[in-house]
Amino acid sequence: MARLHHLYLTVGPARFRVASTWQRPLDQLAALYSDYPASQDDYADFTVRLEPEKPWRRYIRPSVHISGDYWLPDAAPLPLSQSLLAAEMGMNLQMALGWRRHLLLHASSVEKDGKALLMTGLSGSGKSTLSAMLSEKGWRFMGDEFALLNPDTGMVHSFPRLISLKNEAIAAMQAILPESRFGPLMTGTPKGDIRHIIPPTDAVQKMADTAKPALLLFPRFGYDPILRDMGKSEVFVRLTQASTNYVALGETGFRALTKFVDAVPTKAMDYQSGEQAEELIDSLWSQLS
Amino acid sequence: MSQLYRTAALDGIIQYPLDSMTLIFQKSSGVTHMVADPVPAILEVMAEDSLTASDVAQRLSVSYDLEDSTDVADIVLARLAELCTLGLVEQV
Repeated sequence: MARLHHLYLTVGPARFRVASTWQRPLDQLAALYSDYPASQDDYADFTVRLEPEKPWRRYIRPSVHISGDYWLPDAAPLPLSQSLLAAEMGMNLQMALGWRRHLLLHASSVEKDGKALLMTGLSGSGKSTLSAMLSEKGWRFMGDEFALLNPDTGMVHSFPRLISLKNEAIAAMQAILPESRFGPLMTGTPKGDIRHIIPPTDAVQKMADTAKPALLLFPRFGYDPILRDMGKSEVFVRLTQASTNYVALGETGFRALTKFVDAVPTKAMDYQSGEQAEELIDSLWSQLS
Repeated sequence: MSQLYRTAALDGIIQYPLDSMTLIFQKSSGVTHMVADPVPAILEVMAEDSLTASDVAQRLSVSYDLEDSTDVADIVLARLAELCTLGLVEQV
């Protein structure tokens, strides 16, 4: 068995050990996560392993198989050129399947004045792009993948990993951000073109700061701009679908989610451009008490 | 209609009303049920007593302004059968 290279990463409350047959993805991760706190003791909540699908696939058409403490039996390997994506997917997988300290909501989140705006929806809804856009306009970026809801306090914890942009969103953000904020462009991935961006400095420096959830949006890109009310029952059902560990947390998850649904104003938001979304969000935000 | 029913232990569930629906979290299974009227009312009037469907219908008609008690008994019987399947009510 070949020796694995290692890198330790701390993102919000979670600590990862990424072990890889190849040095390449670790070098890319180290560059993109260079502002994140360094590990002091090599402790990790989760290990992600990036290894060849078969021994000879280390060298011949190298392909990266994602595993770790938690893994999916049918996960397709990725080419070495997409090993950064494999590492990010591996960290997502560990959180989705293994994290128990918070209720995980598949949502992006940004913060202003100690209050959090959460955005959840299907892939392509724009939640990731909106969080990236808002974080360049006075909001603190808290995460584009998982919002971590503390079941004891009801507060949202930050998990500010790299922001994952897909397809058209890449050009939109390239128009407003310097090249130094971007990772490598990966084309032809299972989700199309992907390029990561490094979150703003304050998102990393303040990643231990929690925020009180103040607004939940279900954005939907590509429709005439409108805000719609949603019934609490519908919101509850959709959030159970958006949570990867609601069932695993049992009564704790039930109490946390019912409290959240009862307390947090929620809207469905259709929009066709970032400017429209920003206007709608600003109008809602200004009405919050 | 002489079959007796009683709720599973009330301390084994958590009821949480949300707009038109009520959530019932069942501690023993970890399952969250989402139910509509008249299920919450049925569980409320049953309390911890062993009752027939007719008894439940009678208690409902006392607590709520119901029009036709015959229909109510049929509806209660159907809901009790469903609640038995879910494990929220059991036959005695």
